Amino acid sequence: MEDTIVRYVSRIILPFVQLYGLYVVLHGHLSPGGGFSGGTIIGASMILYALSFNLAAGSKKLSHDVSSILESTGALIFAGMGLISLLLGANFLANRIAGFPLGTPGNIFSSGSIVIITFGVGIKVASTMITLFFSLIEEEHSHEHH
Amino acid sequence: MNLSQHLPALIIVVPLFFAFVMPLLARWCKQWCVPTTLGAIIFSFGAAVKMTFQVMNTGPFSYYMGNWPPPWGIELSIDYLTVFAALTINGVGLLIIWYGSKDLLHELKSEVIGWYYTLYLLLMASMTGIVITNDIFNMFVFFEICAIASCGIISIKESRDCIEAAFKYLVLSVLGSGAFLLAIALLYMVTGHLNFTFMAEALPDAMVLYPKNLLVALGLLVVGLGVKAALFPLHAWLPDAHSSAPSPSSAVLSALVIKVYAVAMIRLLYLVFPRELLGMTPVMEMILWMATLAIIIGSMFAIVQDDIKKMLAYSSIAQIGYVFLGVGLMSESALVGGILHIFNHATMKSLLFLVAGAFIYGTGARKLSELKGIGHTMPIPTIAFCIGAFSMVGIPITSGFISKWYLALGALDVGRPFFTAVILISSLLNGIYYLPIVVNAFFSKPEEAVKEPKQLPRQMLVPLTLLSIGVIFFGIFPSLILGIVYRAAQLLLGL
Repeated sequence: MEDTIVRYVSRIILPFVQLYGLYVVLHGHLSPGGGFSGGTIIGASMILYALSFNLAAGSKKLSHDVSSILESTGALIFAGMGLISLLLGANFLANRIAGFPLGTPGNIFSSGSIVIITFGVGIKVASTMITLFFSLIEEEHSHEHH
Repeated sequence: MNLSQHLPALIIVVPLFFAFVMPLLARWCKQWCVPTTLGAIIFSFGAAVKMTFQVMNTGPFSYYMGNWPPPWGIELSIDYLTVFAALTINGVGLLIIWYGSKDLLHELKSEVIGWYYTLYLLLMASMTGIVITNDIFNMFVFFEICAIASCGIISIKESRDCIEAAFKYLVLSVLGSGAFLLAIALLYMVTGHLNFTFMAEALPDAMVLYPKNLLVALGLLVVGLGVKAALFPLHAWLPDAHSSAPSPSSAVLSALVIKVYAVAMIRLLYLVFPRELLGMTPVMEMILWMATLAIIIGSMFAIVQDDIKKMLAYSSIAQIGYVFLGVGLMSESALVGGILHIFNHATMKSLLFLVAGAFIYGTGARKLSELKGIGHTMPIPTIAFCIGAFSMVGIPITSGFISKWYLALGALDVGRPFFTAVILISSLLNGIYYLPIVVNAFFSKPEEAVKEPKQLPRQMLVPLTLLSIGVIFFGIFPSLILGIVYRAAQLLLGL
């Protein structure tokens, strides 16, 4: 489906949607929202792009392969932060006790490992949304070929 | 950093971590998938063994996630029951996936095999998590991971039956989770805690103030966990799900997944709910009767099946009944029998499902009528099947005998010989459907379908042999495992 109005409107709103998603992810430890909600917004923006242009254009920006690699990366960041706490001599997922600097409350770079974990969750959720979308769409395509 | 002190966390985190590494490995270096999976589960098994020695020497201990002490943080508790369950899960799970590394190649499409290992590791991590966590909400999260991973390893085969069965399982399992979540909400409402220990402290007071809330919570909890553990009237999803899945999935689902919910129920009923509340309501009595019905009716359904995997699936419904019989009788011997049966049934049912998988691998036949005379052409799997079948019936020197013995003793201890009779009758029923297979396998002429079976690879034979040796070994030397089971039962009953 090619629709000039849809394409034009989505081209205008996409940057704002993505910026807002990134804002929600990065302020996960400060404001409502966090990795999950922000990741969903970013993922939805990619789905909007693929829907309003077409699948080929969507997968050129972020292919199914890349999104499934990012999916693993996001989860590994989370688990990795927990393991770093172990290496620093505290229990799994320990934050201040493991020696992560807490910073000034209210700054983006505060709250120790939480900000990195939220970022990992954001990557994971955004890429999961996109991977799910691609999986469903490609299933549809492979059936059409039969 | 002292590694051994972090084992309670690592036993969950290592499989979880490698579950997410697996898609990357499947993409770039496929040949590393199997060794990594095995390595991660071997690590968990080693951790469980190490913790077992620690618990036996120095007593139960706990681990605070992120150094946050309870009631604020999540606490992992390592006591006799949890370490016993972790040992069972990781030991049997290791043998199943070792077998599966060869069997899956012919059951699944090559591009999804990497995903299978991801799902399997997630399943192992979540099951270990369910049994060792001391936090009810954390337990719920692991339930969800476990439910999704179990549906995944059923539907990964992409046949019509599998997808239908997985969908049915998913819907019923979500209903179970919903009931459990409501129970958590009600308990949290009256106690203000999610940690088992703190909830148990707050409940006696709350019981006086809000008895109705607690009753509803108890009911929802038993139903929710009952659906997931396939306790008799709530078992409708099990036969299809366990029989249509690939054989390693059937083995892990029947042997381990339904058991972890039983362990969760044991811990909640005995450690969290006050004894007076259980005395006020007939919940234990109801569990007892549901278990009795499960034992008798599950066996009756199994008798009429012609598909070997479907028969084994119905037999699982009967066998989970034994575990709950041990829970409901509330005597030390019965609880020992019930907990011991978790381990014994895990070994023998995974053995039987893996043998069924070996028959299907070798001959393609899964109807019992087609499998006559298979003892002549596939001797080693058939002997393994015999050992498993004898253990199911409860013939002495096999491990099945020991757990049934303790259950029968427990029923006599509390003065209810009726349940001893139930155990005896169900042993006869088990004999009715297992022994003809054994007799037909050895004493009738090989059918056309089983005349020239494919040779079994060594990766499939060795786990079968180890499991059969295990069934016999723990039948002759039960004291090795009874030591820890006794202490678990005493801790639960507060003796």
